[in-house]
Amino acid sequence: MLLDYLRFALKNLRNRQLRSWLTVLGIVIGIASIVALITVSQGLENSIEEQFEKIGSNRIFISAAGGGDPTARSGLTQKDVDKLEKLPDLEWVTPYLIAAVPVKFGRESLNARISGVPSDDMDRRWGDLDLSLKEGRFLAEGEKSSTLIGIRVSDDMFEKDVRVNTNLKINDKKFKVIGIMDEIGNSDDDNMILVPIETARELAGTPDAVTMIEVVIKNPAEMDRVAQKIQRTLEKVRDEESFEVQTPEQILNQLGSILDIIQVVLVGIAAISLLVGGLGIMNSMYTNVLERTNEIGVMKSIGATNLDIMLMFVFESGVIGLVGGTIGAALGTLISKGVGVAAAAGGFSILKVKVSFGIIILGILFSIIVGILSGAMPARQASKLKPIDALRYD
Amino acid sequence: MKKTQKSIIKLENVWKIYEMGDVKVEALRGLSLDVKKHEFVAIKGPSGSGKSTAVNMVGCLDIPSTGKILLDGEDISLMGESDLAQIRGRKIGFVFQKFNLIPTLTAMENVMLPMVFQGTTAEDRQKRAKELLTMVELGDRIDHRPSELSGGQQQRVAIARSLANDPEVILADEPTGNLDSKTGKMVMFFLKKLHKTGKTIIMVTHDDKLAKHADRIEHLIDGKIEQKRKKRG
Repeated sequence: MLLDYLRFALKNLRNRQLRSWLTVLGIVIGIASIVALITVSQGLENSIEEQFEKIGSNRIFISAAGGGDPTARSGLTQKDVDKLEKLPDLEWVTPYLIAAVPVKFGRESLNARISGVPSDDMDRRWGDLDLSLKEGRFLAEGEKSSTLIGIRVSDDMFEKDVRVNTNLKINDKKFKVIGIMDEIGNSDDDNMILVPIETARELAGTPDAVTMIEVVIKNPAEMDRVAQKIQRTLEKVRDEESFEVQTPEQILNQLGSILDIIQVVLVGIAAISLLVGGLGIMNSMYTNVLERTNEIGVMKSIGATNLDIMLMFVFESGVIGLVGGTIGAALGTLISKGVGVAAAAGGFSILKVKVSFGIIILGILFSIIVGILSGAMPARQASKLKPIDALRYD
Repeated sequence: MKKTQKSIIKLENVWKIYEMGDVKVEALRGLSLDVKKHEFVAIKGPSGSGKSTAVNMVGCLDIPSTGKILLDGEDISLMGESDLAQIRGRKIGFVFQKFNLIPTLTAMENVMLPMVFQGTTAEDRQKRAKELLTMVELGDRIDHRPSELSGGQQQRVAIARSLANDPEVILADEPTGNLDSKTGKMVMFFLKKLHKTGKTIIMVTHDDKLAKHADRIEHLIDGKIEQKRKKRG
């Protein structure tokens, strides 16, 4: 019997094809945007987590309070670095100085961000990271006018590719490119121009400055204890509000909660479009009930109960939901795949959009529920029609 | 004329009062009617006599304001809507003036529809629907939709549909009202044929010629049956 109602529903939907498809379209848009947004933001979340896994669980970052612009001067200095180097729990203390300076290659000139890093033991400081050289070598101790660049500096930053052994002019000083890193996956890191920190300080004209300190601790299990120790050590020499000690976990949590808010807002907006789609179904079903009033009267007179009538109409709106949800989920998946491809082309190859069957199934189920709920009120109205009133209706 | 004493539909002093705003309309004013099994009864009346309301009552489509309606001995005014629908589907077959076939369904599906509501299996439904359509001489039109059939053919499909659940009573409301006289005659031929097979036929009409086919004619005037009876043997 239920199968018969499903068949009748399909017949009726086919009978008013244009209207049915338009109604379906409303649902397609809603489900497609929800599926796409959830899939993309999950991909984003996964890639951020993956990125932090690369950083490892043994690193702590110290920066000026408030984060802020990485090129701005922070209050940190070489003195803080020296102080931290005395702590026994730390394997490596690596200061970074980040500055924006003009960079010239051939005739092309542009402003770029350079990072000053200690040139000694580079391979060991970063040894636990998943970083590798595409060509050339790391910076060596005592070197002054050498630079190590990211893959996008080599491939994309200038019209001509920057190769090993060519020269970049940074602030009008010649630097020899001695190495190119493999792709890391985020545009910040892939656009890096690394120079020895002493040279960077000269270029920026800030003798003792440090933008950020990265420390590698000896025992990852003591992360929190060591972070507190660093906090106390620095508090002795400077104002406690002028700096921040952050573990990867804290940064990840911060990013995660920002991402969550964005996701809620975006999915909320998409949900509104689904709601509008649901109203479209309701509207179409009310019209449908009105048009078929006489038919409802006939069916009741030949033995249809209220439940029979109700089921017939709910099946119709449910089918709209099913079809809309299926097309919408497919479209949403395609869109999110497209976003993944576009992100990779734009330098964010770490954004790996993974199609989740769970989300697709949920999207379709949700759409069916929206269809049924939107159809419920019109269907109820249809089922409540009195046969004599309905028969009289033309 | 065969006649048993058992009533199939019995109306006892039925009143139907519609309230339209402040105005009360007494559509039926003490209608009493007793239709025995296997009878062919015509209910005749001018427009405004409460004919449509009477059809609704006899067809159990509506319940009276006061009075009793007994369908095969059961008081329908005590039934809920869904029970009423089920009983209607089983015991009464409707033939409407406007045919009232479902436009999206084929002839075959239209005939099967009352059986769907009774939960008949698909196999039985198909078999019976084919038989019925063959009986009304539309065996070659089973996959046509109503819009692809002539008025006479549509009414024959409607007759086949009215027989789907093998009801005891066929209630025909102006069954030839929308047909020309030739096709009208054909429809009457089928109704009489059904009567011969033992069905109870109740036909509502304003047409004297049609009414003459019945065993008995009841005149409905001002919401009740006129006492003078015209009998045919």
